[in-house]
Amino acid sequence: MQKINKNVVLALLSLTSLVFLLFQLYYYKFYLSQKNGAVFSKVRGSQSGQDSTRWHVVKKFLGLISSHNIPVYLIDPLILGLVDKDIEQIRSSPGGPSPECKYFCAPRDFTTFALLDKTWKHEMGLFRTAEKMGFQWLKIISKDPRLDGMDDLSGIEIPLHYIFKLASHAIHLVVFYERSGNYLWHGPLRLKQHMDRKFVPFRKLHFGRYPGAYEKPELLLVSIDDLKVQIPKNPSSFLEEMSHSRFLECRYREARAFFQLYPDDASLDAVEFRKKAKSLLHLAALTLNNLGVKFWLSSGTCLGWYRQCNVIPHSKDVDLGIFITDYKADIIPAFQKAGLPLKHKFGKVEDSLELSFQGEDDVKLDIFFFYEEDDHIWNGGTQAKSGKKFKYLFPKFTLCWTEFVELKVHVPCETRQYVEANYGPDWKVPVKRWDWKSSPSNVQYNGVWPVDEWDDVIQIY
Amino acid sequence: MDEWKPNPAVKPHKKRSWYLAWKYKLMNQRALRKLCQTGAVLFLLVTVIVNIKLILDTRRAAYEEEEESAQDYDDEMLHVEVPRHPVSNKKVLDVEVYSSRSKVYVAVDGTTVLEDEAREQGRGIHVIVLNQATGHVMAKRVFDTYSPHEDEAMVLFLNMVARGRILIFTIKDEGSFHLKDTAKNVLKSLGSQVAPFLSWRDMWTFVGKKGGEAYGEKHAKSPALSTWGDPVLLKTEVHLTSVEDAECHWPDTELNRRRKRFCSKVEGYGSVCSCKDPTPIEFNPDPLKDNKVFDVPVAVIAGNRPNYLYRMLRSLLSAQGVNPQMITVFIDGYYEEPMDVVELFGLSGIQHTPISIKNARVSQHYKASLTATFNLFPDAKFAVVLEEDLDISVDFFSFLSQSIHLLEEDESLYCISAWNDQGYEHTAEDPSLLYRVETMPGLGWVLRKSLYKDELEPKWPTPEKLWDWDMWMRMPEQRKGRECIIPDISRSYHFGIVGLNMNGYFHEAYFKKHKFNTVPNVQLKNVESLRKDAYETEIHRLLGEAEVLDHSKNPCEDSFVPDTEGKVYVMFIRMEQEADFTTWTQLAKCLHIWDLDVRGNHKGLWRLFRKKNHFLVVGVPASPYSSKKPSSVTPIYMEPPAKEEGAVAVPAVAAAEQT
Repeated sequence: MQKINKNVVLALLSLTSLVFLLFQLYYYKFYLSQKNGAVFSKVRGSQSGQDSTRWHVVKKFLGLISSHNIPVYLIDPLILGLVDKDIEQIRSSPGGPSPECKYFCAPRDFTTFALLDKTWKHEMGLFRTAEKMGFQWLKIISKDPRLDGMDDLSGIEIPLHYIFKLASHAIHLVVFYERSGNYLWHGPLRLKQHMDRKFVPFRKLHFGRYPGAYEKPELLLVSIDDLKVQIPKNPSSFLEEMSHSRFLECRYREARAFFQLYPDDASLDAVEFRKKAKSLLHLAALTLNNLGVKFWLSSGTCLGWYRQCNVIPHSKDVDLGIFITDYKADIIPAFQKAGLPLKHKFGKVEDSLELSFQGEDDVKLDIFFFYEEDDHIWNGGTQAKSGKKFKYLFPKFTLCWTEFVELKVHVPCETRQYVEANYGPDWKVPVKRWDWKSSPSNVQYNGVWPVDEWDDVIQIY
Repeated sequence: MDEWKPNPAVKPHKKRSWYLAWKYKLMNQRALRKLCQTGAVLFLLVTVIVNIKLILDTRRAAYEEEEESAQDYDDEMLHVEVPRHPVSNKKVLDVEVYSSRSKVYVAVDGTTVLEDEAREQGRGIHVIVLNQATGHVMAKRVFDTYSPHEDEAMVLFLNMVARGRILIFTIKDEGSFHLKDTAKNVLKSLGSQVAPFLSWRDMWTFVGKKGGEAYGEKHAKSPALSTWGDPVLLKTEVHLTSVEDAECHWPDTELNRRRKRFCSKVEGYGSVCSCKDPTPIEFNPDPLKDNKVFDVPVAVIAGNRPNYLYRMLRSLLSAQGVNPQMITVFIDGYYEEPMDVVELFGLSGIQHTPISIKNARVSQHYKASLTATFNLFPDAKFAVVLEEDLDISVDFFSFLSQSIHLLEEDESLYCISAWNDQGYEHTAEDPSLLYRVETMPGLGWVLRKSLYKDELEPKWPTPEKLWDWDMWMRMPEQRKGRECIIPDISRSYHFGIVGLNMNGYFHEAYFKKHKFNTVPNVQLKNVESLRKDAYETEIHRLLGEAEVLDHSKNPCEDSFVPDTEGKVYVMFIRMEQEADFTTWTQLAKCLHIWDLDVRGNHKGLWRLFRKKNHFLVVGVPASPYSSKKPSSVTPIYMEPPAKEEGAVAVPAVAAAEQT
């Protein structure tokens, strides 16, 4: 009896230890494969009572800010995603107790709210009340980017983010600033030396890795999970906007250095050209935005932004880029309606499309259409008299927002590569004589249009 | 299993007993099984240990990961905390004070806090105030007591300094000539033994505590009228008190916290820092009904005149309808004290690295300030521009609220200004009356964003041009025939006496007697008649009812205008073409109004008040209103006096009186 028993025990023990080992290996592998490690939420999420803690923290926070009359709105992508699924129902039933905690109890580490800077007066009282309520808070301040473009102005630093922590949940309050160009901006979250790096798992924040640019949202007061809160009227479009919100600040310091080396042209002609280019760009942006066509600053205009944060006065035109996939037939009539007649049209939608519109007094608006390949992006050029085709190659890029001549516009996020592809490594040196067929460093000869197509692919007005 | 070796982790005595057991059990036939059993147990043990180690490892890795991830969010710049002040923990301060003909200096604990060896500057008594707990310099002043009235200013200043503060005095060059007994007595009461006997070209240094002991004094008598006393160097020690003793005990509120921060840093602001019953720093003036300028940003242009800024902000924040959130103070230079004043009032301030020199520096500061204002308030269509040496009328915002729509709608307008260049005590009368003028008065004005962004900013004079921003704005290339709206009685008062283009004499002659509105809620009349065409109708109506004065009399004489009230009179002067202001300038001179250049004209017409009568001056024949002149009247011509030496200097002064 005893013998068998011992054998069984032995076998069992070995088995368990083997299982243990296997589990361990699996666990280790799992961990390794998931380097970003959701270790904490795994540990934490399983605890009971967490769900209602989140709801309570949010409730407390909303109480805190309403007692100080601070209008915040919910921008948490997780909750807005959940809300979006039931948006019709939420819109139609204001108030009324809800049976279950569906949104604010969802597992997460943060709840994110937005605050418009101009709607509150930086009162310290808020934080004292917060402390009394048991919140720990952290403020992230930074230089005011609205003064960055200015020669040597140093304002007081402005708050960009607040984090209120209570128990195991934290509220991330993102401060939005209104900027020239009629858009909202929030700053990046950067911790300073003395700050507590473990205050919250910063990496998991949805806002703050990069600065972001947003349209001013329309808000809607809703009651979800028995809490009254403002949300963007259209959560799904807000979430969509959020995924492409990365903002690039102009390189003001480099621009200043550039002007030290090459003093700005302050002649009356330059002033006049800049004024015209600015109004042309505003008009083009308005027209394309109304059509819902995404565009970015290209060629000389992009170089002007990147190198000197301004229009290059000797460039004589305004250049925009559009992905051919965003092409709409309405573009030409829309520009004509806006008072910009078509000057020429080269190429066709399938190949090397390029449009030129005539602005006032010789300032031209060039729109280049970009074609995406597996490993590069290109746009085409056509020489009218010979029918020669050219191809300009760019490394792949994504689009970021920036501010240029009081306008919120797109530029390639990888601007340097883009500019360098186009203008070569010496893009920092101004060149007044520029030949679009030979000067660009990314130009390739691309054959000749068949003569029978000329009427279609070379249209000059 | 043969290769099995005792686990090194197992404790020795156990190992030994196990070994014995094993040896014993080897005799037994179950030995092998036992061996296996032990092996299994050990195997299990090892697994458990490995398990635990793995768990610990992963956890630590997770932690490190967290920390690493937070590094994405690290600020690139290192913010090294600079120690606030080296003497904060010390109980004793070493003070060195030097007085001589050409140089003074003061060093506190080896740090020079005052050094002045500039030629022909800084004459008189230098005073430094130190905080008795921290040793911080709270105020630095120099009173040129060689000149009259400066001793009174010094007494005023010393009376304002709080009890307990440490005062340091030193004379440069000469400081006794106009040092009257009152001042000497004040110095004596501070503990100076020499002060009452200070005389011509004596050198003197003194360190004392207000209302307390004297720490040291040195004096060198001048041996003869033509020579100075020998340089003196005083070295002394000052005992610091505790911070609590150096502070007032105001109730702990947000406002008082600001006050405390301010009062522990600077001195010379009077009752704002008095422990008993300090003067308020929040004013809560009545809000305006239907305030059209509540959301208009206000840019206060400032330099390093913190006392002026203090006075200016007080009046601004007391004006009805003010919105403190829209106010930004732009300080030209990295001066601490003006920033302290801004923070005292809870406003936001921006410092500007000075670019260029003199007038061009001011001009660049204006540009930066205006650009920044429109950047900070991208929604704003206008900006109110103020300067640090202005008092602001209680109905300043009410005046703007009633008139700002004109600037939006009337393209022929250049600005709205609170200042009437010709609005002196004896020439302005009606607070509800507005004018259109061809000149740009500045001194509290409203700028349209489109004007700035589309026209002015792109071609603003560059630093090397050394131009005055206001003179530049008045040039025809910029103004393009547009006009400004001004009130008859100014809504701002220019109190600055020291400034780039300002001195006491100039201020007394041209600014002191300026009329300033103190009546709240003035209802402006006929605002609509200020529009371009309506104004012409209004002027014609006015000229139609005006009584022509007796042109045979001398217009400078008081009797030129009858002793009536509330009537309208007109006179005609000679003005050959649009730019002929010969007679006008002479008339302005004898009327004691602004005569340094031409101001306040509208198509060759000037409007002012004399003896409470509306008084119109028409330039004939250049003015289109010349047709109103009866044919019997000969326009008055006044000859300019023969050129004097001083005449050359006039344009230079006139060029920049507003800085």
